[in-house]
Amino acid sequence: MKDYQAVIVKNEKIAENIHEVTFELNETPKVRCGQFGNIAVGGTHLLRRPIAICKTEGNLVTFCYQLKGEGTRKLKDMGAGTRLNVLLPLGNGFYVEETEKKVALVGGGVGVFPLISVLREYGTKKEISAYIGYRNQGAVCGVEEFKKASKFIGVTDDGSYGEKMNAVQAFAADLEKGNRPDVVLACGPTPMLRALKTLVEKENLPCYVSLEERMGCGIGACLVCVCDMTNGAKARVCKDGPVFDVKDVVL
Amino acid sequence: MANLSVNLCGVTLKNPVIAASGTYGFGREFHELYDIGQIGGVSTKGMTLEPRLGNPVPRIAESRGVILNAVGLQNPGVEHFIECDLEWLKSTGTCVIANVAGKTLEDYEKICARLNGLVDMIELNISCPNVKSGGMAFGIKPETVEEVTRVAKKGAKDTPLIVKLSPNVESIANNALAAERGGADCVSLINTLTGMAIDIERRKPIIANNTGGVSGAGVKPIAVRMVYEASQAVKIPVIGMGGITCAEDAIEFLMAGATAVQVGTANFTDPYAMPKIIKGLDEWCDKHNVKNVSELTGTLVLNQR
Repeated sequence: MKDYQAVIVKNEKIAENIHEVTFELNETPKVRCGQFGNIAVGGTHLLRRPIAICKTEGNLVTFCYQLKGEGTRKLKDMGAGTRLNVLLPLGNGFYVEETEKKVALVGGGVGVFPLISVLREYGTKKEISAYIGYRNQGAVCGVEEFKKASKFIGVTDDGSYGEKMNAVQAFAADLEKGNRPDVVLACGPTPMLRALKTLVEKENLPCYVSLEERMGCGIGACLVCVCDMTNGAKARVCKDGPVFDVKDVVL
Repeated sequence: MANLSVNLCGVTLKNPVIAASGTYGFGREFHELYDIGQIGGVSTKGMTLEPRLGNPVPRIAESRGVILNAVGLQNPGVEHFIECDLEWLKSTGTCVIANVAGKTLEDYEKICARLNGLVDMIELNISCPNVKSGGMAFGIKPETVEEVTRVAKKGAKDTPLIVKLSPNVESIANNALAAERGGADCVSLINTLTGMAIDIERRKPIIANNTGGVSGAGVKPIAVRMVYEASQAVKIPVIGMGGITCAEDAIEFLMAGATAVQVGTANFTDPYAMPKIIKGLDEWCDKHNVKNVSELTGTLVLNQR
């Protein structure tokens, strides 16, 4: 990890409440899919914004973020040329074993963006099926990327885009047809991950989930962003995660 | 190059900048970014005799210029620290300050006795606002501050004892005096101010614990005033903290009466905050022809009213 003086080269709206920002760094960072960066928006905001890295290309790093509070609204108004400190890469990231040939991506909400990084890292090496859920047509984004997967099933809560169902239901329906992956990688709202945990446990499928939590330092020192482990311990989402074996975490 | 070293009740720190407890773990994560041996001291994550799991999440919130936290003393227990972190932390060359908390007077004595002679200094957390049994009960009234200090000092008989004072009190000067009477070798202040931040859509506090300790740049004027009042009241050295973000902030605290300072929240905003503050102190001293940073302590001259 390094604290880069990053320069914004592009910052624009890509869907309802979702913006995409691309930074240029002074070198090519070593980033693994599923890792995140901690962006200092400055001013009276003392905490950085931990956001999943969506893609990297040479010295360029792209993040997609949801407008949630003052910090992200401030970020959205920053134009090209703005300099910000971005600490990256942070966290463990997703990892697909050699023996795992078929990968299922299950994502919802802002959880779709770390999955784009998986697709970009493993897209040519693995057979990837993406099951992506959005709230409605207006929230649909990243489709250009997901269409590069071997299979892309996009659905919405209200049926305004794709079928009316959630990402876990879309994945379950495909499973029933006999399309069984070797591993499942997921990111999304906790209720979605909870439903997925139940499903993969019943189906006895290996599954890794990326979690989200309010963070302090972002590097594992302050113990602010913890999650409960099934063994009764606490893990740091920023340092021990954000990706965990779904068997190990209480959702 | 000014001489940045300071003497804190017999312990020499290479500079007066100490990592504040709870923001720096045991130093390992920041050591991935820079050599923490260059930092004057590290006050560890607050430790208890037994491991603790802490509070539910969310544990943090933000308000303009400040943050609120309620981690609730999650820690692996003092034995784990001694076994896994102590030797490593010492080997970095920084001054090791063990921050400790307890539920009972007996806990404070036991944990201080366990660490006596093993660390450079012990910092007593009698003011954690985020857990019912975090010592806050001891930190409010001068009588209990004195009592818990006296008992802890029985344990920490050979190791300098710092008593960390809560700002959520009637008189900071009286509590500093109480710590001094109880046998404290030093006092540090301020711990966090109790606050609340509300999610108006849910009509609920953001932090699961409802209230949290407020820290960061916004609390600095309150902290400077309290450090001034405490240092006027006691003869033992004072460690100042509360919102220090840059070298100039640190100098304010030194002038107000502090011998050393602690930096907490700024480590979250900029993980390199402390090395930058140390460099800035050196530059400021050179520019102002100050040969020893220790000359700055207590040099504040009040306006005539």
